[in-house]
Amino acid sequence: MLEFLQICIGGLVVGSIYAAIALGFSLVYRVTGAINLSQGGFAIVAAMIGYTLGVSFGWPLWVAIPCAVTATVAIGTALGAFTFVPGLARLSNANVLMLTAGLLTMIEGFALVVWGSQPYAMPPFSGEAPLVFGPIRVPTQAFWVFGATAVCITALWILVAKTKLGKGLRACAENPAAASLMGINVPRMTLLSFALATLIAAIAGVTVAPTTSLQFDTGRLFTISGFVAAAIGGIMSFPGAIIGGLFLGLLTQLATAYISSLFSTAISLLILLAVLIWRPYGLVHAGTGKRQDTRDEVKSVGHAAKLPVSLAWSFAALALVTAVFVPFVVTDNGILSGLVIAGILFMTLMGLDVLMGYAGQVSLGQAGFMAIGGYTSGYLSINYELAPLLSIFAGIGVSLACALVLSVVTLRLRGLYLALATLAFGLLVDSCAVGFLDITGGPSGLVGIPSFSVAGVEFATPRAMYYVVFALDAVIFLGLTGALRSSFGRALKAIRSDQMAAAALGINTVRYKLAAFMISVTLASLAGSMYAFFFNFLSPEMVGTGRSLELVAMLIVGGESTLFGGMFGALLLTLLPTVFQPLAVYKTFASGALLVVSFLYLPQGLYGAIVGMAVRLARSPRKAVSKEPASETSARAL
Amino acid sequence: MTAVMNASTKTEAAAGAVLSVRHLSKSFGGLKAINDVTFDAAPDQVTALIGPNGAGKTTVFNLITSILSRDAGQVLFLGRDLAGMSAVKIADMGLIRTFQSARVFPGMTAIENVMVGGHRLASRSAASEMLWLPAARNEERGMLRRAEQMLDLVGLAPFKDTQATELPMGAQKLLEVVRALVAQPKLLCLDEPAAGLNDTETRELANLLRAVRTLGIPVLLVEHNMSLVMNVADQVIVMDSGAIIAKGTPSEIQQNSRVIEAYLGREHHAAS
Repeated sequence: MLEFLQICIGGLVVGSIYAAIALGFSLVYRVTGAINLSQGGFAIVAAMIGYTLGVSFGWPLWVAIPCAVTATVAIGTALGAFTFVPGLARLSNANVLMLTAGLLTMIEGFALVVWGSQPYAMPPFSGEAPLVFGPIRVPTQAFWVFGATAVCITALWILVAKTKLGKGLRACAENPAAASLMGINVPRMTLLSFALATLIAAIAGVTVAPTTSLQFDTGRLFTISGFVAAAIGGIMSFPGAIIGGLFLGLLTQLATAYISSLFSTAISLLILLAVLIWRPYGLVHAGTGKRQDTRDEVKSVGHAAKLPVSLAWSFAALALVTAVFVPFVVTDNGILSGLVIAGILFMTLMGLDVLMGYAGQVSLGQAGFMAIGGYTSGYLSINYELAPLLSIFAGIGVSLACALVLSVVTLRLRGLYLALATLAFGLLVDSCAVGFLDITGGPSGLVGIPSFSVAGVEFATPRAMYYVVFALDAVIFLGLTGALRSSFGRALKAIRSDQMAAAALGINTVRYKLAAFMISVTLASLAGSMYAFFFNFLSPEMVGTGRSLELVAMLIVGGESTLFGGMFGALLLTLLPTVFQPLAVYKTFASGALLVVSFLYLPQGLYGAIVGMAVRLARSPRKAVSKEPASETSARAL
Repeated sequence: MTAVMNASTKTEAAAGAVLSVRHLSKSFGGLKAINDVTFDAAPDQVTALIGPNGAGKTTVFNLITSILSRDAGQVLFLGRDLAGMSAVKIADMGLIRTFQSARVFPGMTAIENVMVGGHRLASRSAASEMLWLPAARNEERGMLRRAEQMLDLVGLAPFKDTQATELPMGAQKLLEVVRALVAQPKLLCLDEPAAGLNDTETRELANLLRAVRTLGIPVLLVEHNMSLVMNVADQVIVMDSGAIIAKGTPSEIQQNSRVIEAYLGREHHAAS
C-alpha cells in the first residue's frame, strides 16, 4: 500500500509534466487547428540552458531558471514567427504537423551539437532532503512541479476566459476567417499561442529536470507523451488535457513498477489506440469538434513537378548508366555503403510517397514496418537458417498482417488523428523491439544476421549489395511508375484532394487507401530486411521513430508525389554525413532544418528544382522545335 | 440509353422512368423538410427541380444520392432502391452527380480530372498497369483520347494541361460536367450547375446540356437559374416548403399561378 502511494506520487509528478505539455498542444490546436510537436524540444532546451547557467556557470538557481525560461521563449517565439506562422498560411494541417516534427528534430540536433549526447542531472531547487509525511517521503521537487503546473493552468485559464486577449484567442479557435474579418490579427494570435505553449513547455522542462536525467533527445519523449495525453484526454478541452496527462503519468509509473518498464510505453500506446477507435475525440469531449474542418480543406495541393515524357526517358537512361558505373568510379567502401543505404531507404521512400504524396495519408511510423520486416527476416535466418529470399517474404507477410490490424484504426482516421495513430504504432514497434529480448536481442540489437544470398550466391560486399539494391529499386520504380501514371495514380490523387467527389465518381476510397497502405508496407518491410542483411545486424534505433521522421524529411526534401524525389532526399541525408565525417554531429540538426526549409521555400523539393532547371535547359536552345512535342506529351508526363 | 427495368421489383414506378421518387419524406428535428415528394425522371429528358430558397431541392438531391437517410419513401434508380447504398455503389450503377461548388480535383490538370471520370469504366487492374501490359496501356490511351474529345466538345481542349483549379469558375463547372459525362452516366444529376456563373458561361452550360440530351443521357437538374431551366428542361418540377406544387413543361410552369405565387409572394400577386 505504501509502495503504491509512493508510486502514485511519482506518477502524478510525471503526469503533471505531461499535462502541462498536453495543455500546450490543446492551446495551439484550438487556436490554429494544427499540432505543434516542437514543444518537448523546448522543454529540454530550457532545462539544458538552466543547467549550463546554474551548474556550469554557477549562477544561483533563482536567476538561472528564469533566465533559461526567458531565453527559451525568445528562441521559440522567433522560430515560431519564421516557420510556424508562415507555414500555417500555406501548408495543410498534416504538413504543418510535419513541419513541427522538423522543428523538433532541429531542436534536438541543436541540443546534440551544444550539449552532446551525455545525460545531465539538475540539482533540485530546494535541497535533496525529501519531506516526510509519516512513512511517505515526497521529494521537494514534486511540490515545485505541482505548483508550477497549477500556476500554468490557472494563468492560462484566466488569460483565455477573462481577458480581451483571451477572447481573441477563442475567436480564432471558433472561426479564424470570421475572427480576421472582425479585425483580430490571426497571425499574431497564432504566434501568441505558439509562444504561450513554448512558455508552458519551458517551465515544465526546468521544473521536471531535477527529477529525471536529461539527454538531447528526451524532448521527444515529452512531446510524444504530451501528444498522447492530449489525445487520450481530448485535445479540444483544457480539462481533458490535464486529466489525460495525469492519467498517463499514473499509468506509466504503475505499469513500470508492477509489470515491466520495457512495456510501460507499449501499454500507454495500446490505450491510445483503443481511445482512437472507441472515443476518437478523447475522454473529455468538448462538444465543438468542428474546429478541424475550418482549415483542413482549404489547402491547395501543390502542383508536383513534372518531367515531360521526352525528357523522362533520356533522364532514366542517364540515371541507369550512372548507377551501373558508379561502383567503378567510387572505390571508397564507406561511400559505397552510403549509396547502398540510400538505395535501401529509397525503397521505403517510394512506398511512403505512394502513401503520403499520392494518397495523402500521413504516416509517422513507417520505420515500424522496416523493423517488423528486418527483425522477422533476421530472426528466421539466424534461428531457422531460412533462405534470405524466403525470410524476406515471411517478413512482408508479418508486416502485412500487422498493417491489416492497424488499418482497422487508420482507415477511419484523417489528418492529425491518422498521424497520431501511425506515430503510436511506430513507437509500439519500438518498444516491442526493445522489450522482446529473446527475439530481437533487445536494446543491444540482433547480431549474426547472414548476408543476402540467392541460391547459394552470397552478396556480402558493398559493391555486390549495391547492384542487388539498385536492381530492386529500378524494378520497383518502373512498376510503380506504370501504375501511378494510369488510373491507379489518378484515383489516389483524386482521393487525396476530395474523397467525397472521388466516391461520387465510383472510386472506392477505402480500397484504394488500403492498397496504397499495403504497397508502402510491403516496400518498407522489404527495405527493413535488406537493411538487416546488409549490416548483418539490426538494433531498435536503426529502425525506430527517429528513422520514421527522417524518412519523412527525406521525402519532403526530395520532393513529394514525384516518386523519384525520395532518392535525392535519401542521397543527401545519407551521403553528407558520410562524406563530411567531422560534421556527422550536425546530421540531426541538418535533417530537421532541411525539412523545415523545404516545406517553406522548396515545396516541390529538390526534384522540383532539378526538373525545373532541366526543362528550362532543354527548351532554351531549340525553343521553336520543342514547343510542339512538349505540349503533346506533357499530359502523360511522369 | 434505355433503362432496363428489373421485372421482379414490384413497384409503382412509372414504366420506362430512369429515376422514380416515391412519397419521399424527411424531417430535421421537428421540421418537416420534405413532405411526400413523388416524381419521375424520364429517359432522354432533362428533368429540372426548381423552387425558391429553402424549398428543399438540395435536400431531395441529397436524399436521392443517399447522402442523407430518408424517413419514408423510395428512390428507385433503374428499378432498384438506392436506400443505404454507398456513394461508390450508386456511382457504379450509373448515377453520377456533380456538386454545387465545383469540386475539381486540385493538384491535377484539366485532362487528368476528366480522365478520373472514366475510372469506373476501367477494367485493367493496378497490377497490369505496374507490368506495363499492352492491354492496360491501350486502355489508358483510349481514355486519353476520349477525354480529349470531350474537352474539345466544350472548348476546353487548349487548357487540357492547365491545373484544373487555375481555370475560371465557369470552366471548372463545365469541367465537372464533362468529368461526369466521361463516366457514361445512366442518369446525370447536376446540383445547381449555374450557381456562380455569368450569363455567357450559363449559355455555354445550356449548350452542353442540350448536347447531353441529344446523346440520350437523361439529366436531373436542381437549379436556381430560371433562364437555364426554361431553356433546356423538358419537364419542370416546382417545390415550395418541402412539397411539390407543380409539374409540367416549362411553358406550363410559366403560366402556373401557384408557381408565380411561390416565387413572387402572395401580396405582390394579389396586387398585380
